[in-house]
Amino acid sequence: MNLNLIEKSGYEIARDIKDKKINPEEVYSFFKERIDKYNPRLNAFIEAYPDFSLSSSQNSSLFGLPIAIKDNICIQGKEITCASKILSSCRAVYDATVIRKLKEAGLSLIGTTNMDEFAFGSSTENSCYGPSKNPWDTDRVPGGSSGGSAAAVAARLVPFALGSDTAGSIRQPASLCGVVGFKPTYGRVSRFGLVAFGSSLDQIGPITGNIKDCASLLDIICGPDKFDSTTAQAGEQNFTEALGQDISSLKIGLPKEYFGEGLDPQIKERIEAAINFFKKEKVEFVQVSLPHTQYALPAYYVIACSEASSNLQRFDGIRYGQRAQGNKLGPVYEKSRRLGFGRETKRRILLGTYSLSSGYYDLYYTRALKVRRLIKNDFDRVFKEVDAILTPSSPTPAFKIGEKIKDPLKMYLSDVYTISSNLAGIPAASIPCGFTKDNLPVGMQLMAKDFDEEIIIKIADFFQSHTDFHQKIPQLK
Amino acid sequence: MKEFDTVIGLEVHVQLNTEAKIFCSCPTEFEAPPNTNICPVCCGYPGTLPVFNEGALRLGVRAGLALNCRINKSIYFERKNYFYPDLPKNYQISQYASPLGYQGFLQLSPERKVGIDRVHLEEDAGKLIHKQGYSLADFNRAGIPLLEIVSAPDIRSPQEAFDYLACLKLILQYIGVSTCDMEKGYLRCDANISLKEKESKTFGTKVELKNMNSFKGVRAALEYEQTRQAGRIRAGEKIIQETRLWDVQRLKTFSMRSKEEAHDYRYFPDPDLPDFAVSDQLIAQEKESLGELPSQRRKRFIEQYRLSGKESSLLIENKPLADFFEQVLKFYHDSQKVHKLLFGPFLEQVNLLEGGFDSVKISAKDLAKVVQYFQEGKINNIAVRKILSLAVPAEKSVDRIIKEEKLTQISDQVGLEDIVDNVLSENSKAATEYKQGKTKAVQFLVGQAMKKTRGRASPQAVRDILERRLKE
Repeated sequence: MNLNLIEKSGYEIARDIKDKKINPEEVYSFFKERIDKYNPRLNAFIEAYPDFSLSSSQNSSLFGLPIAIKDNICIQGKEITCASKILSSCRAVYDATVIRKLKEAGLSLIGTTNMDEFAFGSSTENSCYGPSKNPWDTDRVPGGSSGGSAAAVAARLVPFALGSDTAGSIRQPASLCGVVGFKPTYGRVSRFGLVAFGSSLDQIGPITGNIKDCASLLDIICGPDKFDSTTAQAGEQNFTEALGQDISSLKIGLPKEYFGEGLDPQIKERIEAAINFFKKEKVEFVQVSLPHTQYALPAYYVIACSEASSNLQRFDGIRYGQRAQGNKLGPVYEKSRRLGFGRETKRRILLGTYSLSSGYYDLYYTRALKVRRLIKNDFDRVFKEVDAILTPSSPTPAFKIGEKIKDPLKMYLSDVYTISSNLAGIPAASIPCGFTKDNLPVGMQLMAKDFDEEIIIKIADFFQSHTDFHQKIPQLK
Repeated sequence: MKEFDTVIGLEVHVQLNTEAKIFCSCPTEFEAPPNTNICPVCCGYPGTLPVFNEGALRLGVRAGLALNCRINKSIYFERKNYFYPDLPKNYQISQYASPLGYQGFLQLSPERKVGIDRVHLEEDAGKLIHKQGYSLADFNRAGIPLLEIVSAPDIRSPQEAFDYLACLKLILQYIGVSTCDMEKGYLRCDANISLKEKESKTFGTKVELKNMNSFKGVRAALEYEQTRQAGRIRAGEKIIQETRLWDVQRLKTFSMRSKEEAHDYRYFPDPDLPDFAVSDQLIAQEKESLGELPSQRRKRFIEQYRLSGKESSLLIENKPLADFFEQVLKFYHDSQKVHKLLFGPFLEQVNLLEGGFDSVKISAKDLAKVVQYFQEGKINNIAVRKILSLAVPAEKSVDRIIKEEKLTQISDQVGLEDIVDNVLSENSKAATEYKQGKTKAVQFLVGQAMKKTRGRASPQAVRDILERRLKE
């Protein structure tokens, strides 16, 4: 049996399954064995399910493939930890809408991936299960918060995974691990069953080895949902139709605010190389300006933490999760939350509680909403002029474990290029576009206007048809 | 001595009559066994999202219109954040900055009008049952739609607060938005009360009263508080802004928390729910569906059925009875006669029923027959009572009862003459007394004759015959 599946993309394995060259259970076993072998080094998975199960025989384009799920998305009957002690041994009592859709499409769930606690972080170091490692250099972080998903896909422990993105939590780790990470338009994918961080910013999306797999997954998970009233009534779309198309007439914007101070020169170089590639293909580039970019980070932290402080109130140890002992209500709450939450989680709850407090609400929250509007206006204006925006995904390549964890502000800057699209709600993806001298992956970010995921897929697919960065696989010792 | 004006404002929560909860599809029957009408959404499980039941919007709009409110054309929800074990998410989805309805009023009487500051939609919390050393939580009630109705501080006495509640309840029952049963918790009321020195323009410090479980309780708590506050002010003491609980056993209020301990609810718009349009069409439909409000019905009853103001009030205050009254009139035209029967022998029977009017079995058509037969002289008073005692609590036709119990009046003149003859010969002493001028004796003789007919004769007919024969 030829089982060199790691060099194959998801859609190629799916074709082999369809052609009966291999069956879904064999595929599952292959990846499960890889998880068993390499996960102890990478800590990408929180749990890998020992038994293969397939709940549908429907023949979708990805039928029979295993997928890993970030551990903040509910799978009925399975533990949902959000990498937090406060949820230890809490089992989900229902399937998230995306999980139901994956099951219906005939994918098998292979396990849950590591993350920063409640998705608070950019390195996966804020996990109660310890940090995940970057497969390209295990001394380095895989990024975060969906670091487990990105590391698992990069190391081909699984063909693809789901992540969630509130400020770059899909794209930044995808960039640091050399894989494709896609955050759809806010409202494209149901959030029902995603443990909320910043409800007005969160979006589930795929992390894959290539854009074709990504488009197929988007086809499966997107669409309006009666259980999430923030899903858009935009209708289902066929994203795979955007594959294999010509891009020569496109106009792409380069926002000057994304190429300034703080950008690692090696990243800049790789992005410029990608731009030059597109230019040769007759894509037009123009410099644009998104003048409120500098306010995105502070506005984001006010809005996201405000929402998070409220969203996380339900974790009190009373109905599920870990409850501390005590004979009075107040101390039970306090102790459960003190012992259950990690440092970064507490920091964000405090920040959010403060900015929603009476007397500070207008000063912080209301103001942040105004900034958000301005940022959205910036994008609306620019997208009248260009079809897409190209930027770096992350200012730096993967950094060392421990390098930024003691300095939250430095850590927060990891998301400086990805954060604005969450505030604006627009779709954005990170696509591998090269390596640094130390062989660390570099990602470029493509952004488009609301509900125009196709243009990103089109550009990314054209790029991947002419480059092989996405086919490089880290050598795991 | 200082004289005061009392300033009262009421906050009423009523449970809306929707079939499903406000943000999930669970049934609203919270009297079901504990934690049976629950789901991950109303229990606040991780990852769940609220989905608005627009049926609650409809009822909220209807109530707002009935309370003469202006209706916001677009509404949104906010989160009210506080920790309590009956609140699964530790925040309540409510409305704060922009309520569904505002600037309304309630007309208590032609002279008295109380402003309604706002009506807004929100979800109910669960119920805690405190045991020795532990507490149990029942989330059946969590997520049931509530309408909060906040009056302006226009109420001037505890009695007026009572009247306001009665009037509000009646309207909400009439328009079908809530049963308003306070004992079952479908209606809850908190009160704010302060005293203002007469002639003074500034309000006094207000105290919030909670834990009253009847309208009478609200009135009693306000009366107690009125006296307590006046006493303190006269003694030169300050009123502390605080929340006080009514102790229904000791008939006292006691302090629960002061303003310093008050919550900062950190309201902010719920990002899980979009804005909802309140369309002109919906408002028009609900205006249409309001139907006849109690005050209008009262007026109509006076005019159409020639009832007195008091009779009319008593009738409309019991909507099911008033509806029944009008149904009976469809089968028998005489409104006064029907009213007389309803408020006489009928209600006597109803009051004997454990379930009250809800468990009445007799149909409007059959009740109309009873009135009609009585008016036609077919049955007498005694028979009416007998029939109702059998037909009100059980499904039994009036005609059949009359037949089985042989209740038709003996109107046969010859038969009655014979009975009277018998009575006179058996009671010659009484007959002699009558002839000697003791006219009261005839009462006794009528009674004897009725006894012989087992109540089936018309007492008047018997009396007529007796008097005629005694004068012979």
